[in-house]
Amino acid sequence: MIRPMGESPKIGVYVCHCGLNIDGSLDCEAVARFASALDGVVLARDTLYTCSDPGQEMIKNDIREHGLNRVVVASCTPRLHEPTFRAACTAAGLNPYLLEMANIREHCSWVHLHDRKGATEKAKDLVKMAVARVKLLEPQVETEVPIMRKALVVGGGVAGIQSSLDLADSGYKVYLVEKEASIGGRMAQIDKTFPTMDCSICILAPKMSEVGRHPNIELLTLSEVESVEGYIGNFRIRVRKDPRYVSKECTSCGDCTHDCPQHMPNEFDLGLSTRKAIYSPFAQAVPATYVIDMNACLNKYGIVACDKCSQSCRHKCIDFSQQQEVFELEVGTVIVCTGSDVYDPTSLTELGYGRFPNVITSLEFERLINAAGPTGGHLIRPSDKTVPKRVAFLQCIGSRSKRANPYCSNICCMNTVKDALLIREHWPDTKIYVFYIDIRAFGKGFEDLFQRARREGVSFIRGIPGEIIQDVRTGNLKLIGENTLLSQLYQYEVDMAILSVGIEPRKDSAVVKRLLSLPSMADGFFMEAHPKLRPVDTPTGGIFLAGCAEGPKDIKDSVTQASAAASRANILMSKGKVTVEAITARIDPDVCTGCGACAKVCPYGAILVDNERKRAQVVEAACAGCGTCSPECAFGAITMRHFSDAQILAQIDALAENGARRKILAFCCNWCSYAGADFAGVSRIQYPAEIRIIRTMCSGRVNPRFVEHAFSKGIAAVLVSGCHPGDCHYINANLQTDKRVQRLWKRMTRLGLDKDRLRLAWISAAEGMRFSQEISAMKEIVERLTDDEIQRGIEAFDGKERHSSKEEGA
Amino acid sequence: MKTPDLFDEELLYECYQCARCTGSCPAALAVEGFNPRNILLKCLRLGVEAAITDEKLWCCTTCHVCEDRCPQIIDVTDLLMTIMNEAAKKGYIPDKVKASTEMILHTGRVLLVSKRVALLRKRLGLKPLRPVSVEEVEGILEKTGLAVLMG
Repeated sequence: MIRPMGESPKIGVYVCHCGLNIDGSLDCEAVARFASALDGVVLARDTLYTCSDPGQEMIKNDIREHGLNRVVVASCTPRLHEPTFRAACTAAGLNPYLLEMANIREHCSWVHLHDRKGATEKAKDLVKMAVARVKLLEPQVETEVPIMRKALVVGGGVAGIQSSLDLADSGYKVYLVEKEASIGGRMAQIDKTFPTMDCSICILAPKMSEVGRHPNIELLTLSEVESVEGYIGNFRIRVRKDPRYVSKECTSCGDCTHDCPQHMPNEFDLGLSTRKAIYSPFAQAVPATYVIDMNACLNKYGIVACDKCSQSCRHKCIDFSQQQEVFELEVGTVIVCTGSDVYDPTSLTELGYGRFPNVITSLEFERLINAAGPTGGHLIRPSDKTVPKRVAFLQCIGSRSKRANPYCSNICCMNTVKDALLIREHWPDTKIYVFYIDIRAFGKGFEDLFQRARREGVSFIRGIPGEIIQDVRTGNLKLIGENTLLSQLYQYEVDMAILSVGIEPRKDSAVVKRLLSLPSMADGFFMEAHPKLRPVDTPTGGIFLAGCAEGPKDIKDSVTQASAAASRANILMSKGKVTVEAITARIDPDVCTGCGACAKVCPYGAILVDNERKRAQVVEAACAGCGTCSPECAFGAITMRHFSDAQILAQIDALAENGARRKILAFCCNWCSYAGADFAGVSRIQYPAEIRIIRTMCSGRVNPRFVEHAFSKGIAAVLVSGCHPGDCHYINANLQTDKRVQRLWKRMTRLGLDKDRLRLAWISAAEGMRFSQEISAMKEIVERLTDDEIQRGIEAFDGKERHSSKEEGA
Repeated sequence: MKTPDLFDEELLYECYQCARCTGSCPAALAVEGFNPRNILLKCLRLGVEAAITDEKLWCCTTCHVCEDRCPQIIDVTDLLMTIMNEAAKKGYIPDKVKASTEMILHTGRVLLVSKRVALLRKRLGLKPLRPVSVEEVEGILEKTGLAVLMG
């Protein structure tokens, strides 16, 4: 399929009319005529619909008949039809990487609807740039990477349990790593589930024990991931396992706990009860083996000061000599199910949580009403252990607030409705008030449950109390607020108030984020690869998300997502291999000095530096092809396949050939700003026609040298654009872009150039308007530039840019 | 001095009417019908003009508790003050407010100092109150534009 290189380029250019979509606002025929005169072009045609079957057939025939060895299609965005035309080339025996597209629809005809002359000129330029680039393209072979058929699941809540079971049932070896002594997570703490009012632990426990006895699942409790290396299909994970001090022979008889003298607050009951230093977290714990909390045990400092547990144990399971262990696991895929924390309302002092004993959180309430909880399921209030006759629920505590978490926590409304009904069921005389802003009963069966609660006499009052005041003598609480539906102030006296607290990312999620190089949203939850179409993938290949780690969600959604993530991981593992697009970096070993500057900026850790041999090497399977490393190399040792320096410089030269004085060059990243420009096209947002876009995979690919080269050729202004910081498709590669542009600005100021000529913009794929505004702003800058300024730019960088890149990179 | 654009719609849209402001308001407890939440809603839905005619507006004691508890960090007190200023400019000043303003304008004090006060002060060993320079107060009120509003 690879044609021998060295033969002179024979380029075919196809200018698509796309009906009237393109031809309606620019002269396709003129563009084709212009293209036919370009060097290396053997034929240029304008066609009505190039993507149609006849259009594709024409390309295939031309490749065979005219011996074309390069193809340029000037039509829509490559994000749409590049795969189509690549397939056509492949079918005709031409390497698919020898195709180049010029985007004359989204980036030209649709955004310059009323400037036929400008649009035609721009289309000619875009085709000329594509021809210049296509000459330098090289055939590439996509590589395949094997995928190991083992998976790691991080976190043993309901999502982790479901993912593990699904994968294990599919026949893969699964390592389930859980930080706590037992799996089960938040679901194990909850009393009932909505909207069905099932007993939570009753439906979870069978799944937990299935995990415990599944032959394909290796359960690692008291364990945490310490480091992650490798890439899709081949991750090497180090897991640290803390000692349990009780061996597997434990029969969970509980004699040891009975004899242990040390009491501690019970975390599982959120401190509402106590446990011993040797304990089982809860009755259904998996593994059922007891555990010693060394922080509470009298033998904390390595001296056996107390052996009561050991003496009472008939099976001799207590083993104080157990040590911390570190495991090395090799897996092909990772599913992150690290779950969430709940909001701590202590800082909302007006509500008195932490000061007034009868103000509790919704999670504490779950333990209070649970049959296995501290009160044996009897509803009593903490201050005097009497049964409350009047109970208030306060919604949106710590959610939908700029003071806490700005998002809706998704589950609190239905959780409150469920809790209210539970109280009603067991203590029908209890008066229940729910203070809310909006009740969000959006799920299947939710509205029914809400209506049932209303009919059963739960009072829903719109308006959150401004404050809670405690009666010091009785411990009763006075709630003061406004009923907004009546515009009337209220004062309710209640016996107990339950704060419906929101969900937030785990306190230690930053550690997981760093270990696995996962991007997160502004609110701290992990980000999916695409919010609609790849909702359980992460941008890093082979790593998937499930449960509340991705965002607040209820049990059903967590389980759904867990099965989805398992299925996605299954696709990779059952195939056993993955194809990597041939755009990765290559390091020339003869030029490389092993300085390691490239390895420092690689977001994936895909470059290994051999300090002894003074060489850096790219791990191809881990390289995503962003190109951030390339500008960093002071020696020009790194070649980005399919986005090489020579190819990009050729594009710049082509566009600078005539009329550079008026032109704006824009570097757009494939994922955000290029897509944003496409979106501007689809939305028909008009902007000046002076702009010419060069696509790179990431803004991190933009070498300062390219910008300098553009100025040395007299181009008026340059835009470097990428994804918003934090949204980078390549984790954080655009941070390098920012640094490089800052350095360029400094350099331009030093050289006495107008630094406004270089612009940096973060434009998301949805910000077509923003893109157009940036271009309009740049046009204004270009109009105020003097010829003198342009000349200064030419002189400042002429012939020096190669040299200067060394200086910048060093 | 900070002069935020408190009629900025964007800011008013932040409010989702949770009523924590009114629920926290000591003035609302004392005066039936004074309702900061409602005033904000009026501003958003009907414009400032609808809010300035309401005399209850002036019950705000500027204690800033509403602002302290607002989950969306809206400066409710500052909003009310801005509305009051707007109302005053349009001539909507309640009689009682007008009376006390005039008192300041003419005597430099909020309250009249009677002979009984002077006697009381003497008995308590306090120095007699210093006379207030009415011209100076007048000058201030003129500069702030209040004197013009009072006519």
